[in-house]
Amino acid sequence: MFKYRVSKNSGSGSWVVQRITGLALVVLMIGHYILMHYQPESGHTYQAVLARMQFSWYRIIDLSFLTLGMYHGLNGIWNIFRDYKMSQWAKLSMLSGLIIFGLAFLAWGFTIIFSIPYLS
Amino acid sequence: MESEIKTQSPQQKIKTFDQKNWISENLNYKKDSGSWAWIFHRISGIALIGYLFLHIYSLSPLTKGEIAFNNKMATFSSPVFMVIEWLLFAFVLFHALNGIRIVIVDWADGARYHKQLYTLSWVVGIILFISMGVIMFSHEVKNLF
Repeated sequence: MFKYRVSKNSGSGSWVVQRITGLALVVLMIGHYILMHYQPESGHTYQAVLARMQFSWYRIIDLSFLTLGMYHGLNGIWNIFRDYKMSQWAKLSMLSGLIIFGLAFLAWGFTIIFSIPYLS
Repeated sequence: MESEIKTQSPQQKIKTFDQKNWISENLNYKKDSGSWAWIFHRISGIALIGYLFLHIYSLSPLTKGEIAFNNKMATFSSPVFMVIEWLLFAFVLFHALNGIRIVIVDWADGARYHKQLYTLSWVVGIILFISMGVIMFSHEVKNLF
């Protein structure tokens, strides 16, 4: 038998995903910054947000930006934790804490975006 | 090299990481550009995920309608907040540029020139940081005069 419990998951999958989401976030972040800061007025009033949110594709971009950012960020935090020696219990509680915290804020973000009405 | 190995006695202790004094151990460790990149990437990453939570919270008045949201936005458009936003851009820039550097190192043989890439990311980053300052504050400066 194995002397130590060894995870069968090497983490290489999450490593690839972290790079792909990172690159996607760079692209999305460029768009975000052009939109929000190239013209000071474009992003900062309720009317501007409302006008933008009439396009469903823009909502989809926003939702994926939020989801990708949340995943990439919390996976990054988890990677920091994994650099240190932790007991099984500490590992489990930290991972579940991150997931619950992340899902809660993700749900909050989704609620905010969906709460913006469509003007028919 | 060979003579060095011969003079080492088997009893000689291999230097191990002193867990109890981990702060001084980390600080005394000789740092190359790659180590700094790693440290800054970590710090900026933690700051950015923290900001994402803050960002969700700060945009939450969108659910309460126009007046609540515009009031909140008026606070964030003050010069103090704009300077903070500008500094936040420095974190975004470092994390993005160094992230691209990491991908190049991992997937495009960048390990051969990762130090040059590190210097390049600082140069590009500082140029973009200053241009963002010009874009963000030219509007404000015009309002002053």
